[in-house]
Amino acid sequence: MRVNDDRKDREFLFPDEDEHSRMKKRSSVKEKRRKKPLNYLKGLRAMLAILFFAPVLLYFVDFAGALPENVHGLLHLQLVPAALGGMIGIIVLMFALAFVFGRIYCSVICPAGILQDIINRVFCIKRKKQKGVMRFKYRKPMNMFRYALLTLTVASALFGATTLLLKLDPYSNFGRIASNLFRPLVMWGNNAAFHALEALDNHSLYPVTVKTVTTAGWAAAAIALLTFIAMTIWRGRLFCNSLCPVGAVLSIVSRYSLFRISFDAERCNSCGSCERSCKAEAVDSKRMKVDTSLCVLCFNCTSTCPKASLKYRFAPAFPLAQPELNVAEASHTKGTVNSTTSSRRKFFATGATIAATLPMISSLARKHQEAAATSTVAFDSTKDAVDYNNLGPVTPPGSMDLERFKDKCTACHICITRCPTQVLRPAGLEYGFDYMLRPHCAFVSSYCNYDCTVCSEVCPSHAIGGLSIEEKHTTQVGIATFNLNRCVVYTNETDCGACAEHCPTRAVHMVHYKGILTIPQVEPELCIGCGGCESICPVRPLRAIVVVAHKTHVKVAAPEEEEVEKIENNEFAF
Amino acid sequence: MKRRDFLKTSVVAGAALSMNIEGLSAALNNPETAAAAPDLVAVMGGEPEVMLDRALEALGGIGKFVKKGQKIVIKPNIGWDRAPERAANTNPDLIKALVKRCLNAGASKVTVFDHTCDDWQKCYKTSGIEAAVKEAGGIMLPGNDEKYYKSVTIPGGIKLKEVKIHDALLEADAWINVPILKHHDGAKFSCAMKNLMGIVWDRQTFHRGDLQQSIADLCVWQKKPVLNIIDAYRMMAKNGPQGRSIADVQTPKQLLASTDIVALDAAGLATFNQYAPVKLEVATVGHIGHGEMLKLGSTNLSKLNIQRIKI
Repeated sequence: MRVNDDRKDREFLFPDEDEHSRMKKRSSVKEKRRKKPLNYLKGLRAMLAILFFAPVLLYFVDFAGALPENVHGLLHLQLVPAALGGMIGIIVLMFALAFVFGRIYCSVICPAGILQDIINRVFCIKRKKQKGVMRFKYRKPMNMFRYALLTLTVASALFGATTLLLKLDPYSNFGRIASNLFRPLVMWGNNAAFHALEALDNHSLYPVTVKTVTTAGWAAAAIALLTFIAMTIWRGRLFCNSLCPVGAVLSIVSRYSLFRISFDAERCNSCGSCERSCKAEAVDSKRMKVDTSLCVLCFNCTSTCPKASLKYRFAPAFPLAQPELNVAEASHTKGTVNSTTSSRRKFFATGATIAATLPMISSLARKHQEAAATSTVAFDSTKDAVDYNNLGPVTPPGSMDLERFKDKCTACHICITRCPTQVLRPAGLEYGFDYMLRPHCAFVSSYCNYDCTVCSEVCPSHAIGGLSIEEKHTTQVGIATFNLNRCVVYTNETDCGACAEHCPTRAVHMVHYKGILTIPQVEPELCIGCGGCESICPVRPLRAIVVVAHKTHVKVAAPEEEEVEKIENNEFAF
Repeated sequence: MKRRDFLKTSVVAGAALSMNIEGLSAALNNPETAAAAPDLVAVMGGEPEVMLDRALEALGGIGKFVKKGQKIVIKPNIGWDRAPERAANTNPDLIKALVKRCLNAGASKVTVFDHTCDDWQKCYKTSGIEAAVKEAGGIMLPGNDEKYYKSVTIPGGIKLKEVKIHDALLEADAWINVPILKHHDGAKFSCAMKNLMGIVWDRQTFHRGDLQQSIADLCVWQKKPVLNIIDAYRMMAKNGPQGRSIADVQTPKQLLASTDIVALDAAGLATFNQYAPVKLEVATVGHIGHGEMLKLGSTNLSKLNIQRIKI
């Protein structure tokens, strides 16, 4: 059948050829095909992967804000953030994709998956094909392990402990690697280029300082990258088929996918090259089976197969579909009708379970939100001393509530990389194990810009919920608390007022103190906790004014609109 | 020699010696205006560019301050992420006009920067100054990285002995200080002298070690601005230095210029008091008095030759 097709093709292309030369050419073309079969799907997969990966990577390392803001739209496709953010549409779309096409997500949309492919590619450079590209072999899926881990991860997330999810989510791990390892490299590269250009009196670049990489962030990223490298070199996409919660959850759906790679038993000569080329260790060449719960649709096998036996076909797992092409599959399912029906039942059961549990995460978070809205926090104006050893994390405006934030944030660090004032930094262990790596406002040398809502715009899981500028102006994340006995005006009796200068709402302002000296005073009702005061206070080691974080953010009234008479004057004052 | 002749010559010599050399050379260069060259020019009632031109004309032309081939730095106040209407930053139209005048006078390069308080990129953009400078053909340099700053000593400083100053200024042949008139909660009043805090890196040492004295000390730095121009087209009458709303802004439509930074701040303070709800004494704004003590200039405006121009 195939030979006939070929002949037709060639007749169409070269109608003037005589039969003899045509025969010769055909055989040579067939030789070539055997060596390098045409495989558009692998090329398409690689191209799509680059189209997704490149903007996401650049967005993380773009310290200059050169990329358009709307690139963050791509981040919202990530499954874990979408699940935490309760974005049903995205979740349904990703499951539908997996059900129709298989785990294409893992090869195209997931930046950690593509990072592993890049690691694999780098590993294969200058290595003999057999030792590099063709180093894999089929292994049985670690179903007990991966589904147990998935259950544990989802269950703990449902009960509000997202630490495990934070550590395992592929997207967040990629984000931490990009923002804590790749980004500094790009920034240092920029600085080198800046010095070179400055010597030529070219001022198109400016120097930058890496401020947002903390020890915890750096260490977590390094561990994640080393894990990816080790696992990839050892067993390809091992991470995706063992530790990854997204891989595990998609595998439940993809095992029933409508399109799948399968063997044509008639063509297969059992050379086993497909199996050796499979990064996901999903191809069992002896049994002529591809485990679609493991397969990430890289199409390495279909491009390697010299006999074009492996093809991506419409081949539903249920008997309602025609298994005519799938000889191998058919021979296996023959006489095991029961197992098929039970697998269908399993499919519906798991599907229903997932559909039911995913929105629960967001509904749990919503509960927190409501609690936040109803709780009232009284201002304690008598407390002027700060317990410096016991300050909680100042969570970004829009995060609403500490517990809610911990439930939703997986520490992908995109907010940290996009924050224009670099005030957001990943926490270490100072706020406890369960806050580790999550962003907090560190008013060390900068503060939260009054007219900026970037973090809430980019957050893919809506852990930092959307805020309008007006809402931000009235969201109090903490209260500036003044410690008189540390203040320069009190200790040195000289003017200072740096805190009041930097207060955008005039919550911190100067009042008469002694002689011509003025001293800061805080009006808590006006403070939004932006940290302008704390960041600029010159007193060390402990500052005289610090923002004491709210566990639940508080709505404050907008600064009153003032009517001011415009003074007209036609004479000079001197 | 006759006694009369002797007396005559000694009087002439004495007069020549007492004359300041800069004034003399200016007089020789420009005999028409030199006689009347004022210590301070105040202009009222025009758009920023028009007022700038009138002030420069009264002072003897831009060529008196900017020479051919010189590298010039203009230092506005760009401290805050606020639009020009909020009067937190120097008027971009004024900066644009000044960059053009400097280039027309033959400056080889005109650089503008400030060590901002808010994020520098936001400040440069929102203030409108970045766009204005680029349009006029100047260079906008960042000032928010320590890499740009180099340490210099201030021999005449009382509290401030050493400070890190922006490289652009160290390299420049001359620089022009262009503040905006503002209320200031920390230093009480922000104008020409206070604007110099934007040329240094570590401002916290100022706040730690006597803010008012440190501001005056910084003005003692040997490389003084060749000209100070106060933008009082708009001014911040209260809630300074960043202001809370448009209600903090008054519009005097004035421009003051002088080489005497202390006199200019005194004049600026008088103008400020015409519009501000809370009036300030010169004594309250410590750094002006400290500047006078350091012989940077005079607060006694009645003794100065002031040219007042109404448009």
